[in-house]
Amino acid sequence: MDWTGYRSPTWDELIGHDGQPHTAARPLVDYLASLSRGELAERQLAADVTARVMGVTFTVYTEGRNVDRTLPFDLIPRVIARAEWDRTAAGLRQRIQALNLFIGDIYGAQKIVKDKVFPEFLLKDSVNFRPQCVGIRPPLDIWAHICGSDLVRDGDGTLYALEDNLRIPSGVSYMIENRMVSKRVFPELFETSAILPVDDYPAQLYDTLAALSPRPGDTPVIALLTPGIYNSAYFEHCYLAQSMGVELVEGGDLFVGDDDVCYMRTVYGPRRIDVIYRRVDDMFIDPEVFRPESLLGVPGLIRSWRAGNVALANAPGAGVADDKVVFAYVPKMIKYYLGEEAILPNVPSYLCHDDKERAYVLDHIEELVVKPANESGGYGMLIGPRASKTEHAQFRELIKANPRNYVAQPTLSLSTAPILGDHGPEPRHLDLRPFVLSRKDIYVTTGGLTRVAMKKDSLVVNSSQGGGAKDTWVVDTEEAS
Amino acid sequence: MLSRVAANLYWFSRYLRRAENLARLVNVGSQLQLDLPRSARFAWRPLIETLGAADEFDRQHPAGGKQPDEAGVIRFLLVDPENPQSLHEVVRQARELQRSVRETLPQDCWVAINDLYLYIEASTDRAGSRRYRQEFLDRVIDSCLRVSALLTANVSRDIGFQFLRLGTAIEQADMTSRIIDTAAAGLIQPRIEDDAEAFREMQWMSVLQCLAAYQMYRRHLRQRVSAELALQFLLKDRQFPRSVLFCLTRIQGILPLMPARRPVQLALNRVLGSVFDADPARVLKTGPGAFMDRLQVELDALDGALRQSYFTG
Repeated sequence: MDWTGYRSPTWDELIGHDGQPHTAARPLVDYLASLSRGELAERQLAADVTARVMGVTFTVYTEGRNVDRTLPFDLIPRVIARAEWDRTAAGLRQRIQALNLFIGDIYGAQKIVKDKVFPEFLLKDSVNFRPQCVGIRPPLDIWAHICGSDLVRDGDGTLYALEDNLRIPSGVSYMIENRMVSKRVFPELFETSAILPVDDYPAQLYDTLAALSPRPGDTPVIALLTPGIYNSAYFEHCYLAQSMGVELVEGGDLFVGDDDVCYMRTVYGPRRIDVIYRRVDDMFIDPEVFRPESLLGVPGLIRSWRAGNVALANAPGAGVADDKVVFAYVPKMIKYYLGEEAILPNVPSYLCHDDKERAYVLDHIEELVVKPANESGGYGMLIGPRASKTEHAQFRELIKANPRNYVAQPTLSLSTAPILGDHGPEPRHLDLRPFVLSRKDIYVTTGGLTRVAMKKDSLVVNSSQGGGAKDTWVVDTEEAS
Repeated sequence: MLSRVAANLYWFSRYLRRAENLARLVNVGSQLQLDLPRSARFAWRPLIETLGAADEFDRQHPAGGKQPDEAGVIRFLLVDPENPQSLHEVVRQARELQRSVRETLPQDCWVAINDLYLYIEASTDRAGSRRYRQEFLDRVIDSCLRVSALLTANVSRDIGFQFLRLGTAIEQADMTSRIIDTAAAGLIQPRIEDDAEAFREMQWMSVLQCLAAYQMYRRHLRQRVSAELALQFLLKDRQFPRSVLFCLTRIQGILPLMPARRPVQLALNRVLGSVFDADPARVLKTGPGAFMDRLQVELDALDGALRQSYFTG
């Protein structure tokens, strides 16, 4: 592969502005340089075949039909130096610790509101605040056991936190499978470089869930609750259930008895369940408490949870902190609960409920990214510099009509990494989603899922909108030298 | 094992076995037709009834209206998505079930079933034509057997596997009884009533062929085909794996490997008793239709007992 002429318009994860690879990426870049175009194409093909054979798919719902698609996988890994990763992981631990304290506080004494650090009105009309959860204290006082935080790097090389997914973050199975693919495709590099492993995740997740069992001492019965085969992340649900050795259940497989205990229906008769890793949204999880028409949930589940007979991960209501407005307060939360400065900076946010900030947003909308507070998957947002005048006007109206629902952020010059293009390496924008598991201690994945926009200049990395994935290598440069 | 997963495994293997038998049945029908003299014609109607597709067929072709030609009937049986009993629909069901138990079965199995489904989808236009029919049906039968082989070779003998075996056994017993029923109803319509007797033997031979039983019949009975012996063989042979008795005996062997449930054992005993007590000569005399109907009701009751005992939790 020929690197001459490869230039990124911004910060690049592999190649510096001087055209030389970053230290941690040098062995990879040199190795790729030694491969011919034919050899690379062959390996890309091998990678695609491996992914298909392993059944790495996600489901896209289009034109009334469900189609299994394979997630586009780019061969060239993204490399992060271990020293930088250690710092980032410390920042993530700090964040999630503060977020869990915040959620517990919000459903408990609401000290942060009383101390006027967090405005009360934001809580009142937060769509993810669940009044049904007020007063509940889940095991270990942890609400968000599994968090997927999205990180982005700006043109100057700074890593920022962009959002925290505390409801049902997905993508971790791709992280693991991407590694399996790249091990098959680049075995030589794994022999010579110190690339830290990622395959510990299912075991760590199992431990996280097992720690929640209401019957400590006994082997807990754990299940993963899926909305079913038509869910876009069904592949991941299967994958995680299989690799943890827990049951994969649908709502209809479970029921709550008069004793407020949750059971699953088995061929041996009802069997008690201790912990549920639910991949069904809050609002659908229990028709007795939330949406009554939901067929995906289990009637009485919240009753059983409240009674402490079954543990739910993530706890219902955890999403209150998964809101782009609440996000802006995370540095203040860290200060308030932990008395520390945030290690990992937030992407600066302008909150439209604030008169001054809103005025700024309305004036500078062409330069900003505007996001609705509670959408995910990259839907409903405006990328100012790429949008038309009509769209600017439309978003100005939307913001004025419902200021609390909008947040604006400066358009970062999102970093790139090379993908294997038709004519050699081409820069594409990307982000990073590490996964954080909270129990007595906090576990952070080594690296995470790198999502990459496969289209030239595109800033949208979501799989539902044409994004792909790369393997993420945290490389120990000390050890390698 | 979750009840839902057990039920899906059971139905998956039922649909798989059903698809294979369906392809065999249509195959023999079209073969037989080629052998018939001008004085007789092949009757598709009993076959449609056997497969429980008569209602949909009559809806599409009301009496008095234009009746479809052979190719039309074949298309209805093989690739019509409106016909819930068509091969296309049976395989689609198997595929959907497999999707929902994907974590329990080997990956190859999913690939094989998916392949088969896509092949049937792609063959919709030409499955009716005589030229391709043989090739199409052979491929379907092979694919089904391939999946069965993958299951036998690669699946752990856990309780889930027992549900797969149960499904195969009960479906084969059911299909065999239905196919006997078809033969008894008369697959050949002679234009002259007196010829009926002459075609009788030919019919039973076809039925044996349809169930891949002809060779085994000759080998073990060493006699030419007669209605009584063919019925005896398909109903009560202890060694031929598609005979009703063989399938039921298999189920008897599976039950001790599962959580004991009295209603299941009772339902099995009832249908086993009927088969034991059946005297082929008498069954033929009184008309096999009534007997086979009873058998199917008893098999349904066994299916119901399984559902009650294992699938509702």
